[in-house]
Order: sequence, then structure tokens, then C-alpha cells
Amino acid sequence: MKNVHPVLRGLLMLVVGALVGYGVGLFLDYAVQSGFFANATELRFNAPVPGLFSLLIGATMFFFGLVGYRGVTRGLVFQVVGTLAGGLLVTGIRASMGLSLWGGFLFTEPAWVLGGLVGALAFLVGVGAVTDWWKWALGEPTSEHHHDEPGFEKYFGVSLDHKVIGVQYTVVALLLISVGGLFALIFRTELAASQLQFLTTSFKLFDQNGLQMYNSLMSLHGMIMIVSILLGIAGIMNYVVPLLLGAQDMAFPRMNAFSFWIAVPAAVLLLASLFLGGFDTGWTGYPPLSARAPVGMQMFFLGVFVAGWSSILGGLNIIATSLRMRARGMIAFRMPILVWASVATSLISLTATQLIGLSFQLVMFQRLFGMGFFDPDKGGNPVLFQHLFWFYSHPAVYVFVLPGLGVISELLPVFVRKPLFGYKWVAMSSLGIALVGFMVWAHHMFTSGMNEYLRVPFMYSTLLVAVPTGVKFFSWVATIWKGKIRTPTPMLFVLGGIVVFLMGGLSGPPNATVSTDLHLHDTYFIVGHFHDTIFGGFVFPFFAAIYYWFPKATGRRMSEFWGKVHFWLMTPSFFILTLGMMRIGLLGMRRRIADYDPTMGFDFTHLILTVTGYLIGVSVLIFIINFFHSMKNGEKAEGNLWESRSPEWLVPSPMPLENYEHEFEVVGEPYDYGLAGSRYVKFANEK
Amino acid sequence: MSHTQDKSTIMRQGVLIFIYLGVLTALEFFIAIAFENVPLLVLVALVKGGLVLYYYMHVYRLNENDGSDPHSLAYKTGTNRLGLWLFLLSDAFVFGGLMVARVNLLGMTRPHLNQTLGLAVTAVLLISSFFMNRGETAMAHGDRKGFLLNTSITLVLALAFLLGVVAVEWPTASHERLTPASGVAGAVFYMMTGMHAFHVLTGVLFLIVILRNGARGVYTAEKHWAVEAAAVYWHFVDVVWIFFYPALYLIGAAIQLAA
Repeated sequence: MKNVHPVLRGLLMLVVGALVGYGVGLFLDYAVQSGFFANATELRFNAPVPGLFSLLIGATMFFFGLVGYRGVTRGLVFQVVGTLAGGLLVTGIRASMGLSLWGGFLFTEPAWVLGGLVGALAFLVGVGAVTDWWKWALGEPTSEHHHDEPGFEKYFGVSLDHKVIGVQYTVVALLLISVGGLFALIFRTELAASQLQFLTTSFKLFDQNGLQMYNSLMSLHGMIMIVSILLGIAGIMNYVVPLLLGAQDMAFPRMNAFSFWIAVPAAVLLLASLFLGGFDTGWTGYPPLSARAPVGMQMFFLGVFVAGWSSILGGLNIIATSLRMRARGMIAFRMPILVWASVATSLISLTATQLIGLSFQLVMFQRLFGMGFFDPDKGGNPVLFQHLFWFYSHPAVYVFVLPGLGVISELLPVFVRKPLFGYKWVAMSSLGIALVGFMVWAHHMFTSGMNEYLRVPFMYSTLLVAVPTGVKFFSWVATIWKGKIRTPTPMLFVLGGIVVFLMGGLSGPPNATVSTDLHLHDTYFIVGHFHDTIFGGFVFPFFAAIYYWFPKATGRRMSEFWGKVHFWLMTPSFFILTLGMMRIGLLGMRRRIADYDPTMGFDFTHLILTVTGYLIGVSVLIFIINFFHSMKNGEKAEGNLWESRSPEWLVPSPMPLENYEHEFEVVGEPYDYGLAGSRYVKFANEK
Repeated sequence: MSHTQDKSTIMRQGVLIFIYLGVLTALEFFIAIAFENVPLLVLVALVKGGLVLYYYMHVYRLNENDGSDPHSLAYKTGTNRLGLWLFLLSDAFVFGGLMVARVNLLGMTRPHLNQTLGLAVTAVLLISSFFMNRGETAMAHGDRKGFLLNTSITLVLALAFLLGVVAVEWPTASHERLTPASGVAGAVFYMMTGMHAFHVLTGVLFLIVILRNGARGVYTAEKHWAVEAAAVYWHFVDVVWIFFYPALYLIGAAIQLAA
């Protein structure tokens, strides 16, 4: 096995692990279903437990084959063992209380919840993300500087280097985007024609029929994409912000590693929800439906709760780093726009994220202990959930898009060779969006039955968001105006992002306006609008950022040809997709449903939407192949490839371990492209 | 870290603040039984919280000038301090959310609870904050013995509070049919006290860590960030209770659960 390529070794182990896991799961499922072999029952080949074990042990063995028993492999082993231990602990307690011991999916619901939580914490112990803190608690010293071994293995274990963590975040984000996209393609295929084709009532998998599976996939598509976006922006911010500031690392490197690694067991928990009976609430998890959905609901809540900590602590780190680790001379109004945007985003994720965690926790407790927060029978109020939930989940969309909009402002001047128009206004607009974003949440609830007098204030506060967003657009257009435009791949994605985000922006006010929203609420118009904002504000800038900073991380550039193929395949497909969604939405197509009436005449549009969905999938696949292929085989690019003024491009690529050999001082404005004699930074070894 | 005031001044200040807090708590209780004036109760809680934030948690230290050398210990401690306060800000949103839930679900009613017990655990927590402040001040002036003594008292009081809520108050309430599943009042009561008790428990763990390391001589007058962090966290738990106590015990009309 030593001579086999590690990836191949991993894949072989994956197959072995998946088969073994499936067998073990099948056996356990049979044991429990048959009352420990007392009654004859059939083997349940499509039951939840074999599927879940197959996933967990397969993934563990994959990493074992890839890097051996260390880092993430150890973490996953600990998570599996921790989950079982936690589950057995609750089962034991239940035995002493005379309660039922086993549920339809091996454990009972409380056992799965505690097991899931213990498993996630065990992962962190196993991977080594808390080792240094444990030493501190014991009063033992830890080394201040952390040196990674060369080679790809460092990406599979705990590293304190923000550049390694940035790459880890980005790669996991890409992985989750692929998973979430795959889910979308599956249910998009079902939607291609009216009537049910393959997700029918006779379909049976993981204790769900076709319609339930549709609901689970649709719900998980939402949340997995959200987590992947949170990881994606964290990847960009982690890699780039300390470089822009001239810092050696983040303010709290251990917490930085912790923030990344806690997202991994969270992703496992989210995926586990699909196996444990799924759930049918959509990503919002509204009670009362979520109060009686299958066990998968709890795994979903737990996964989001754990992932939330990644976002909270990551945001904390970005704020502290930006406030405390700036280079000499970098006063607030000489900070790069991306730093401003990252701070604005982090302020939201630091604070508001607690509210989605709390709202989900309250439903979890309602299910576990009968605490009737949202149960009208006990005096509870389901609308309270929506307030708590949207207090995060609306500002969350600004968490998703602000870094992306920052990337656009950051890259645009480089490719048009002109100063950024209205720097101060753009800098403040990010904070403006973040602050206004805290006051708009109830526009998601115009039809919820909340107090009517709340509608109009929330309508106006929502429309107010257009003002700071308009500032950004004005700045971008004025920056492009009469510039010497170059269009390598990153610039294409910047321009694409601007146009797509404009579409998202323009389709927003109809949803914010009470009178039109009463018609548009819960239709495909909302789905189209939302995808426009997120593609324009996150996906396009995210790809732009990867194409742009890839040479900084690897010393090689991604293929321009395939980058352009990616862009020209994805962009038109995406336009057709969202415009088509908005069209049928206006005509009355409800969102979140597996089937629609053929007489409504949506069949042809839905078919087109499915085709464009697949084309976007192909374009992202091209990107991912390009990404991994270029790491080793890309054209060498060690200098200032884009002719940027930014400090990270003034030193050779790939970035050295300690970032800047010589510290720099900020001596001018950041975006004065094309002004003779102007400079932004001066390194200590320069005259 | 600069300590412009000498130790006895700070200690005296700690006593004074403690007296203020005690008087305000008594006043609060009196307002609740005599006038049921909610704005006044909120005001008293805000004043109490402000006193703890300023004099025990030293929020002004965030503004302290810690030099321009980013590699110095003072600068790193300043960064740590900022990180801790950001974390507390984040954590405050959990408790704020619980408060919103309480107002939304219970409005101007409250669960029927044992007032003596409520006042007793509140007093215990306030006294623990007083000793925590003495312990931290002692360490900041290199007095290891004073630190160990005061922090040990804090720990004992912390455990007393925790047991008072979880092992006395909870069974008492559930004996009077206020259980998590009995209705929304029970749900809110157990959730708020439970979330707070969870934070008390983590605070207790931090106290044990700094006591153990303090006894082994890990901390000095110059270098004791862990002590400061544990102390600030402990006071934060106290601040949360300063708001939770009136919200659960004093504001609104008590609901008697039917037998």
C-alpha cells in the first residue's frame, strides 16, 4: 500500500469502510428491530442506521487511507466513539428510569441528541483543537510559534497558521457546495416535469418516502449551502485579512483553528440528519412542524448550533485582529475595503448568531423535555420562534454578502487601474448595511400573523438597506468609468457578481413592500431573488477571490482557459435559472413543493431550470478540477501577477510561513491606481 | 498593566461598591413588594449592573493605553481583554434572547417562586463577586495568599449558589407543580435559570483552574491574565443574574398553579 497514490489509497479505504459500516449498521439495526434476536424480522437494507454507519466509517477510512491515523482521522474516530458513548449513556439512564431503550433508528431521540453533542466535542479532542488550552489549564507552557511540516498532510490536522486554516476553510466550503449542489440537482430533476417521477410514495430510503426525501434534500440544500458560505467567507477572510493588515497571524491562532475544526463535526451532524429520518421544515425549522418532525430535525438543530460557534468565534477573531494587529500607519481610513467589510460581517456573526442557536435550542428542549415555548397548548407562542430566528437569519444574508462585496471593491481598482471611487463612503457602507440589517428581520414575517402595526416600520427599514448598498454600486460604476479595463478570470467574476447582485437588489424591494409581498411570499420569486443576491454577493466574488489569490497561496495560477469556460458556462445558465424562477414565481409557483399542477403551464420553464441547474453544476465541476489540477500543474506565478498595490503582492508567492520578512508601514492611500508616484506601503528594508 | 491606585484603596472601594449593591438589592425587593413599579426595578438593575461592570469588571481597561509595541506583554493582554469582552458581548445576546422570550411569553406575570430562596441565592452570588474582586486585586499586587483565600471563598459561594438553584430551588418549584413541561412559565423559569446555571458551572471550572495554578505559583503581579479573565467572567455571570433575578422573582403578578 505504501507505493499507492494517497488519494487512491483513501478511495480504496473509503469503499472498504463504507461496506464495513453498512454491514455493522445492518447488524445493529437487525439486532434492535428483532428485540435482540428474540423475534424474527427482515433485514432493512434501506434503513437509516446502515446508511449512517456507512457514511461515518467510510469517511473515517478515507482519511485514514489519505493521511493515516492523525488529525482529522483521529477526530472522526473520536466522534463516532463519542456519539455511541453519549447515546449509550442516555440509554443507560433511561434503563434506570424504566423508559424505552431503543428507537426506530437504534437510539432514542434524547440518546441521539446527547450522542451527537458528545460526538462533536469528542471530535475536537481527537483532532487536537483543544490540546493547548488543556495544557494552559494545567499551567503547562505551549510553544508560541507553531511550525507545520511541509507537505499536504498539514492541511488534515490542527495548524495554527492562518494561511493553512484559510485553505482548510475554503476546501471544506467547496466540498459542502458540491454536496449542497448535488442535493439541489436531485430535487431539481424531480421538478423537471409535473407529477412525481422518481421521488414517489413507493420510494423508500432512510425511513423516508419520496416526498419526505424531497423535503429533506430541499431543507438540507438550504442549510448546507449556508454553512458552506460561512466557511467560504471565513476561508477568504482568514487567508487575506492578516496579509492585508501586515499581521503575522490572527489575534487568537488557537481559537482560529478551533473555529475551523468545530465546523467539521457540525457538517457531519447536518449530513446525519438526512440519514436519521430527515426532516421536512425547510432550512427555517419553524415550529410547530419542527416540534414533531423525525429525529433528523434534532441532528439538524444540533449541527447548526455547533456550526454557529465556528461563525461566532471566527467573527470575534477577525474583529480583534483588525482592531489590534494593523501595520504602522494603517489608520481606519487607510484600511483595505475588504477589512472594513470583514469587520462589519463579523460584528453580525459575533452577536446575532447566538439568536439562531437559542431559537433552535428552545425547540430542541421543547422536544426533549416538553418545555412549551412554542406550543400554544402550554401558553407558548410559535411567532416568537420566528422573531428569534430571523433576528439572526436576516442579518445572516449580510454576513454572506458583505465580504463578497468587499472583494469586489478590493479587486475592481486593480483591474481598471483607477482609484476606488468614494473610498470613505464605501468603507462606511459596509457598517451601514450591517447596522441597518439588525432592524429589518420581521419583513420575513409579513404573513405570519404578527402584530400588524409592525409591518410598515419593518418595510421602511428594509427599503433603507438599499441606500448603503446603492453607495457601493455607485462607487463600482464610477470606478469602472473610463478605466483601462482588463478582463482576466477574476475580473470576469467581479463584473458578473456586480450584475447578478444588481438583479438581486432590484428584485428585493417588491418583497420588502408589504402590499406586493403578500402576493410574492413563499413563491419561486423569493427563491429567484435570494439566489441572485447570494450568487452576486457571495458565489461570484468567492470564485473571483479564489482565482485572484490562488497564486498567492500556491505560487501557481489556475488555468485561464478553463476559468473562462467556467464563467461563460455558469453566468448565462444562472441568469436563465433565476429569471425563470422569478417568472413562474410571479405566476404563482409555490416554493418548497415536490409537485405542481400541469395545467399551470410551468412544465417547460421547470425543464429549462433543471437543464440550467445541471449546466451550473458542470461549470462548478470544471472549476473544482481546475482548482486541484492547478495546485501542482498550474503555470508558475510567483511575482505580482495582477500588478496590485496591496502589500501581499509585493512579496514573492507562495507566501512565506511568517508572512512578511520585513514589516511594512502604510504611507499612502490604498487604491490610488494610476496616480504617478503614489504608494500605499513601504517595507522596513526599503528607502 | 498599570496600577495607579494602591491596594488598600481598591479594597476599600470594593467594600463600598458591595455595600451599594446590597442596599440596592434590598431596595429592589422593597420596591417589588411595595409598589410593583417596573421601570424603577429596571433602573435599579441597570445601576447595579453598571456598578459591577465598572468597578468589578473594570470595563474601562479596554480603553487603557497599552503601548505601541505589539510584541509586549501589555499589548497582548490588551488584545486578550478585547477578545474576552467581545465574547461576553456575544454571550449577552443569548441572555438577551431569553429575556425577550420571557417578556413575550409571560408579559406582566411571573412564576410563583420561593422569595426567601431567591433573595438568598442572589445575596450569595453578590457576596461571591465581592470576594472575587478582592482575590483579583490581591493577585494584581502580588499577594498570593490573599488571592488564594478570597478565591477559595468565591468558589465555595459559587458552589452554594449552584446547589441553591439546582438542588434546592428546582425541587422546591417542581414540588409546587412548576416543572419544565407544566406550562410556559415553567419552561421559561427552568430555561433561564438552567442557562445561567450552566454559565455558573463553567465559571466554577475556571475558578478551580486559577486556584490550582495559583497555588502552584504560576501567576505573578505582572502576569496573571487567567485570573483577570476568570474574575471578569465570574462578574459577568453575576451581572446576568442581576437582570434575571427581578425578571423571574420580582416583576409581574405571580401565577398560582392550580392544584
